Amino acid sequence: MRDFISGNDGVAHAVRLCRTPLIAAYPITPQTSIYERLSGWEASGQLNGIMMRTESEHSAMASCIGASLTGVRTFTATSSQGLALMHEMLHFAAGCRLPIVMANVNRIISAPWGFWADHLDSLSQRDTGWVQFYCENGQEALDTVIQAYRIAEQVYLPVMIALDAFFVSHFVEPLEIPEQDQVDGFLPPLNLPHKFDVDKPGFLVPVVSSEKYREYKHLAAVGMDSVKEIALRVDGEFREKFGRGYGIIEPFMLDDAEVVVVTAGSMTSTARLAIRKMREEGKKAGLLKIRAFRPFPVEALQQALRGRKKIAVLDRDFSLGGGGIFCQELRSALVHSPDHPLVFSYIAGVGGTDVSPETIEQIATRAMARSEPADEPEWIMGE
Amino acid sequence: MGREDSENFVIPISYGSTESIETGQWSSKKPRTRQLVPPCQEACPAGTDIPRFVHLVEKGKYREALSAILVENPFPGVCGRVCYHPCEAGCNRASYDESVSIQMLERFVSSLKSGDLPRLQPVPNEAPRRVAIIGSGPAGLSCAYFLALLGHHPVIFEARDEPGGVLRWGIPPFRLPKAVLKKEVRRILALPIELKTGCRVGRDVALDELDWFDAVFLSPGAELNAQLSIEGQDLEGVWDGGEFLMAVNSGRDISLGAETLVIGGGNTAIDVARSALRLGSSVTIAYRRTWDAMPAIRDEVSEAEEEGIRFTFLVQPVSIHRTGDGRLSVTFQRMEPGAPDGSGRPRAVPVEGEYATVQADSVISAVGERVDLSWIPEKLAGGGLVDPDPDAGIFAGGDAARQPRTIVNAIASAKRAAISMDLSFRGIRDRGALSQLRTGGKGSISMAAYLEARASGVWPEIKDVATGDRINTLFFEKSGRVRSRKLGKKRLKSFLEVNLSPDARMALRSASRCYSCGRCNACLNCYYFCPEGVISVDVEQCTRTIDDAHCKGCGTCATACPRTAVEMKDLS
Repeated sequence: MRDFISGNDGVAHAVRLCRTPLIAAYPITPQTSIYERLSGWEASGQLNGIMMRTESEHSAMASCIGASLTGVRTFTATSSQGLALMHEMLHFAAGCRLPIVMANVNRIISAPWGFWADHLDSLSQRDTGWVQFYCENGQEALDTVIQAYRIAEQVYLPVMIALDAFFVSHFVEPLEIPEQDQVDGFLPPLNLPHKFDVDKPGFLVPVVSSEKYREYKHLAAVGMDSVKEIALRVDGEFREKFGRGYGIIEPFMLDDAEVVVVTAGSMTSTARLAIRKMREEGKKAGLLKIRAFRPFPVEALQQALRGRKKIAVLDRDFSLGGGGIFCQELRSALVHSPDHPLVFSYIAGVGGTDVSPETIEQIATRAMARSEPADEPEWIMGE
Repeated sequence: MGREDSENFVIPISYGSTESIETGQWSSKKPRTRQLVPPCQEACPAGTDIPRFVHLVEKGKYREALSAILVENPFPGVCGRVCYHPCEAGCNRASYDESVSIQMLERFVSSLKSGDLPRLQPVPNEAPRRVAIIGSGPAGLSCAYFLALLGHHPVIFEARDEPGGVLRWGIPPFRLPKAVLKKEVRRILALPIELKTGCRVGRDVALDELDWFDAVFLSPGAELNAQLSIEGQDLEGVWDGGEFLMAVNSGRDISLGAETLVIGGGNTAIDVARSALRLGSSVTIAYRRTWDAMPAIRDEVSEAEEEGIRFTFLVQPVSIHRTGDGRLSVTFQRMEPGAPDGSGRPRAVPVEGEYATVQADSVISAVGERVDLSWIPEKLAGGGLVDPDPDAGIFAGGDAARQPRTIVNAIASAKRAAISMDLSFRGIRDRGALSQLRTGGKGSISMAAYLEARASGVWPEIKDVATGDRINTLFFEKSGRVRSRKLGKKRLKSFLEVNLSPDARMALRSASRCYSCGRCNACLNCYYFCPEGVISVDVEQCTRTIDDAHCKGCGTCATACPRTAVEMKDLS
């Protein structure tokens, strides 16, 4: 069914269609409308699960952990400070290898206070062991939730779907809402081989020896690495069934590009316009969208960028004393590729500031004109 | 640790035990079950263990519930109907929403079918004594009952031809059906008790002649009516309240005429008025004080009002005359409230020169009862009451003794006397012994505590009262009191019981509202809240076992106990 709805509504529809039995959440702008939509359906009896209204995001994640341990699908949604409050539990979720799915609506992290789109909240959680996908629009957010359960339940790792505040969460677009039987066909009822048996209680998260700790982490690393392949396979099956797919990265007009603009999230849509216009004007620019951030798709990126001379990475985030986080990751991903491209770093859209097609065009043009990138990123300050 | 799961390294989980680490050594404070006196039990003159029997009702253990009541009170069917239930006024729940319907629950338990009744077993007594009991009202029967259960041989001397006293001859059947009384009297008399009916002490046998008994219990009741002492009191159609109720309870034909005037404001006045109504008369109660000052039980007053009885206050009769058309004309002095009397109620003071005259077909006076002391030696009388001499083996109870004239107080006085006698038979002269048995600070004592002390030789520890401030009401949802159903309009056409019996559903609903103040009822809060999982609860016995070796003494269980039945004790 096609409907004119927001990205948050799309996420809520996906959770409903996945028949998630337990949703534990705490409201926070701009995530709240996901929570509200699911609560509404619970009240009207259209939800196949229960909404657990916890007193904090930390408790919401703890509740998801408890339920997920018993082998049921769980979901939570949060943003910014809520995600920060969950931090401790995020490690527990991944450490216990639980297939929890979460939507994080990317909002600036305080201080100062604000509500606008910025990726620093979820990027700050990059080392917690969660799979992370950054979504370009509402349809992709909806579809990624459904894919996320398939991936999480194969690798026993939690998945975070990141969607930009307002640009994706609240913008209303025509979205394709899959039918229930379609989703049921794609996502079978959950039956995990590893779960906590309430009839055979044990002590969770016991003290282990150093060697055992290393073993747990190593096996988790193997699991995380397998996501690259599993996510592609799941995406392929999804494309077959629903007619839409996204890959873990998306190259756009990369052939013979002299400069490749790299983006994540909603900015990608804007960049498509800018790149298409440049191509029409005969300028050899291309676009590369990064969808999977954890695991970072190193091989896919190396391959896609082989032979390209320059790339311009746009970061809607900033790690103080470090730089743009996507740029850092990309630089380290390319360092072993022979003749890898020069990587130019731009900080654009921080704090939810507007990044127009003209800005992206200027960035691409500037990178083309320069012979050497600077070590430090360039802040795009507008005007 | 983690042995079983070390093979797959997915969820870090250990099936091994950390029991060898005795984390309980970190604290010397440990939770202990405690029993406090619930305020309902404190308020009940008979000291009935109310939370216990209510809990048993909730569990569906009706026979055990009845046993729990019968330890303290042989008249649950009577008290479940006509007691003034001070327990409900004491109920901690009253200040939260509404008190628990304890009387209804007692009535429910009392109505067990005879096949289910618990067997009463006297305790072994190697030196049984003989006790003479004068009168078989609630005090006399209770005294015989308790003495028999303590292994003694009571003999009751009853002047009338049937036992029961005020229960038989005073309370009308619409409040206490005769069958209910019969059943309870039969249960009492099934014990080794001798009953001599038609034997009035002072007429058929002299009090002196009973001196071969080891003790005497004087419970003759207050069967004489206080006189109006006014002109015309002996006219035909002027009744004495006690005499009238006696006639009603004997099933005699009574004709009152169209209008009856009842004089008085106590329970007898209300019973008289409601009986007169059922005999087809319209009824007005005339009382010398105000509505607030009427000593009658409030529920009874409300029921009388519901039934259409009219009240006129601040009037005192001064004379009664026969009118020309054969009716009675009563002249009243108008009164006004004055300074408070000994009871704290405003005294009724005449308003000089103000009179009113009312006509009626019958006048029934119910202005109080007196004790017949004509057969009692002077040294055993005082202030119009029996004044016992326990040292000489003379005990007293019921309406003839110095105590509130209620049924439950009569039962309480009998229990006190029976225990006192047993103590003295056993050579224990310590007057303080009785106070060791007290349930709170309002005078009630516990037979259960006495039986336990008697068997073990150890006197019980005095317990605090579980006052309202010690209850954690956060654990209770507000709910309304369960109200008894009543007979409809047809109730005025007969003497059928007005209040109908509760059914099991009502009893369960009512029982489940009980806070069980100061008494573990195995709600399992401690078990659920314990972060260490060191508490196990025996839900049948309502006892708990603490794994002290692993209890860190956090006190969560004590805080989470809604009824203050868990306390932290420092064992260092």
